[in-house]
Amino acid sequence: MIHHFLLPTRYPRALYWMLLFTLMASLSSCGGEGTGSDDSLDSLLEKAEKTAPISKEEKSGDRQSVSPEKVVQKISSTVLERNELKFGFIKLTDCAPIVIAKEKGFFDEVGLQVDVEAQPNWKTLLDRVISGELDGAHMLSGQPIAATIGFGTKAHIITAYTMDQNGNGITVSNAIWEQMQENDSSLKLPQPKHPISANTLRPIVEERKASGQLLKMGMVFPVSTHNYELRYWLAASGIHPGFYTNTDKVGETDAEVLLSVTPPPMMPTVLEAGNIQGYCVGEPWNQQAVAKGIGVPVTTNYDVWKNNPEKVFGVTKKWADENPITHIAVIKALIKAGKWLDSTNSEGDLVNREEACRILAQPNYVGADYDVIKNSMTGFFYFQKSDKRKMPEFNIFFKDHATYPWYSDGIWFLTQMRRWGQITESKPDAWYHETIKKVYRPDIYRLAAAELIQEGELEESEIPPVTTDGYKPATNEFIDGMTYDGRYPVKYLNSMKIGNKDLEASS
Amino acid sequence: MKFKLIKSLDVAGLSVFEPVVRLLWGEEPKVQIKKIGLYIVIPLLVFISFLLVWDFMGPRHKTKSGEVPTPKVVLDAYKKIVLFHDQEYAKLDDYNREGEDRVAHLTEVESRLRIVRDVLGQIRIALEDAENQFQEKLAKYLKPYQQVVAEKQKDYQARKAEVEGKLITWGKQLDVNDKEGKKDYIKAVALAKREFEKNEKHLKVLRTELADKKINESPELVTLRLQQTKLEQEEQFLVKRISYLSRANRSLKIEAAETILGDQLANLSNAYGDEGVYGLTLNILNSQERIEKIKKSSYAKPPTFFDQIWTSIKCVFTGFLIATFIAIPLGILCGLSSVFMASMMPLISLFKPVSPIVWLPIVFIIVGGFITNPEEAFISPAFLSTAITVALCSLWPTLVNTALGVASVENDHLNVARMLRLNLWDRLTKIIIPSSLPLIFAGLRISLGVGWMVLIAGELLSSSPGLGKFVWDMFNNGSSETFAQMFVVVFFVGIIGFLLDRLMVIMQKLVSFDEAVSTL
Repeated sequence: MIHHFLLPTRYPRALYWMLLFTLMASLSSCGGEGTGSDDSLDSLLEKAEKTAPISKEEKSGDRQSVSPEKVVQKISSTVLERNELKFGFIKLTDCAPIVIAKEKGFFDEVGLQVDVEAQPNWKTLLDRVISGELDGAHMLSGQPIAATIGFGTKAHIITAYTMDQNGNGITVSNAIWEQMQENDSSLKLPQPKHPISANTLRPIVEERKASGQLLKMGMVFPVSTHNYELRYWLAASGIHPGFYTNTDKVGETDAEVLLSVTPPPMMPTVLEAGNIQGYCVGEPWNQQAVAKGIGVPVTTNYDVWKNNPEKVFGVTKKWADENPITHIAVIKALIKAGKWLDSTNSEGDLVNREEACRILAQPNYVGADYDVIKNSMTGFFYFQKSDKRKMPEFNIFFKDHATYPWYSDGIWFLTQMRRWGQITESKPDAWYHETIKKVYRPDIYRLAAAELIQEGELEESEIPPVTTDGYKPATNEFIDGMTYDGRYPVKYLNSMKIGNKDLEASS
Repeated sequence: MKFKLIKSLDVAGLSVFEPVVRLLWGEEPKVQIKKIGLYIVIPLLVFISFLLVWDFMGPRHKTKSGEVPTPKVVLDAYKKIVLFHDQEYAKLDDYNREGEDRVAHLTEVESRLRIVRDVLGQIRIALEDAENQFQEKLAKYLKPYQQVVAEKQKDYQARKAEVEGKLITWGKQLDVNDKEGKKDYIKAVALAKREFEKNEKHLKVLRTELADKKINESPELVTLRLQQTKLEQEEQFLVKRISYLSRANRSLKIEAAETILGDQLANLSNAYGDEGVYGLTLNILNSQERIEKIKKSSYAKPPTFFDQIWTSIKCVFTGFLIATFIAIPLGILCGLSSVFMASMMPLISLFKPVSPIVWLPIVFIIVGGFITNPEEAFISPAFLSTAITVALCSLWPTLVNTALGVASVENDHLNVARMLRLNLWDRLTKIIIPSSLPLIFAGLRISLGVGWMVLIAGELLSSSPGLGKFVWDMFNNGSSETFAQMFVVVFFVGIIGFLLDRLMVIMQKLVSFDEAVSTL
């Protein structure tokens, strides 16, 4: 019995494999010899010099001549360094450009076979991009910046493509919503006037503070857009969301509201359990709260900062340097996907969004129910069951140069990192500009866009003019009406009531 | 024959079926039937009643994420998982198809797509009608309730206005010194306030009731919607297949690249006396490289459920093998030498209770340090980390059992060995290991069981593409299917765990000299 069990029964097969391996090894070594182990480059060059060159006249006599124009070709540099790639994403509707580029064949068109893999959380996603397990990923705008300056995991990450604008919401629990309604009875209307500021939340915060039980809210990651937006919304109404300091990496120093990290899919569950009283998260998790009747989205980041950058496509600098042509090909496919997502008919309706929702609803992508994804993606948003509003710009994937990596967008995140103390020491304006130029790479975007324009896939007007310096014009479309000009970050910081302030360089 | 069957059933740990075999050969029918009743029919009945209870209880327990799925819903979810699997493999095949095979499939898929689109068009029209009808019906149904709420609201508002008006006038008329009057006034205002609050509350209740009021959609509408979803998904799948059979097909891509290469080669053979020759040659080399890459490329298929099961099984065995290779030698040493055992004891007692959730991040960091270039590594770091975590958590039972087995080898045997002057190696291989094998295998069996349980948690965190990741992904989806998909996983994890256990039981039986008792 033992004897029988211990003897490998697949003995002949093992032999067969070994044979095959030897065969293959010998074959490959043969190939190597054929191309040039004997003839070294130098000896070949020597040989060529020795043989007298045949004169043009002589040759043209016996062969049909070919016009030189036809022969002269640009050295084609389009061999992709890699054609099988793996990208990571988090299950949120704004991963759409990557998914669409794969499913609609835009990656195929540039010769790439791309595997897209859902990641459990933002930290793992970033770690796997850094370690090289993933070639690139759907990232929070703040992630490449924070990684590059070394807040959290340090690694040089760059981005040449902004995946979308807007797309988040701030949801509070039913109980808090009722108290907010008590504080301002106009909120009791079936369709209250927007934007809703945190003014009505302030009395609740103060009451909680007096009772020693601070209000708790959830956001998805320390350097996420959500964290900064939630803080901005609170601070705009004079509620202090807390500082990060050298010793406090959770960001709760001086806080009147405690913000904690919760993974997006867990938000509704945690809210229902009462561990937090509100959260800021991307779709479909605000609509889920409405569908389940556990919370009320009070505002979207469209109101906090109109057309704010949300996610980017990030790769490591190392990867980008090793695979420049592949990188451009990827950006090309993504630009096409963004354009496809935002294409409209003559009446201005988004025509491809329903198909996109069907694709995103597949279990290996976002996987939420088609109906839930459809809400925000096709331009509607439920604030309450009785309050459905049109929000055509809830997700912008391409329109108005949304995919271009604007320096000013990145600098806003740097200012917020400084404002809340994630950047612990004061920095001059020049530092902001220098840092962002390391991370945001419009040059790569332009190379990809130029190729697309040449191929007739893109209009000249669909990318920002070459003359732009990469900064958007100053805007005051914030919930508190403050003006932001990316060219003067320190001045912007100092204009804020709550938050760290720095010395302005006198100019 | 009969005894052979019985023996093999016994070895496989399926001795519950033994009475069936005996009955077939007509051995003591009464006793056998009684045994069948006890060991087969009763468990079967219990399982069926479990399903019935589940079927009954499920829909009655409502959570905010939906109803607890009934067995039927779970089965449907399983079918969808299988469908996804089949579709992905169809795409994979399409990508690799070439020649006539490709053309044949292309025409087939295209004709199917036409049919689907036809039907879909009809369904969309029918659906719109049905939807409009339903909305009308709903509006009609809700109208009386809405009226009730509106009336109540009006009543309450009127009452409030009236009472408030009266109270205000009263308040104005109150005399400064009218202490009694003021007392009454306070009482009245308090009562009024309470009444307003009560009314508000009542209104709110009414509104919530209204929001919950609904009529069931007609079955026709529901089926139409289901059909629409199904067909739209199929449409998408077919369109994708067509692209893999035409534009994005590998053989076609190679063909296109080869045409370019042919042109370039023709150009080169005609070229002379030109500086462009160098560039042309480079282009040719590039084209060749490109063709090689396309030839090697494969369809980037997302892992399906069954791929994930396979990954999990591979992972658990990798971890299990690592554990075995560490635990058995260590265990033998511990069993042989009490000094070694004593020296190992602190380490064993320290590390044994550590949870996989703690090991995983540590292992992750360490493995990440060794594998600097995962692209070229032959094993994925996520996979390896999970496997090592499984090993770290599952090696203890084997280690302890091996030590015990080795330590409890009968002294007579050892004395014989001493008398024969066997050297250490012979003593190990001829006496100690063989006689402790049953215990070692009992340990291995527990290890594999522990490993399988640890694995799911490990994969969930490391995102190694196995069953654990499937669970996490489906949870993250938060769709109406999530619940049912989890149940599917429960059954699969259970069944696979059971099979793994049986496997170990068989091995254990094979190496046991005596009739070691194995529990079910």
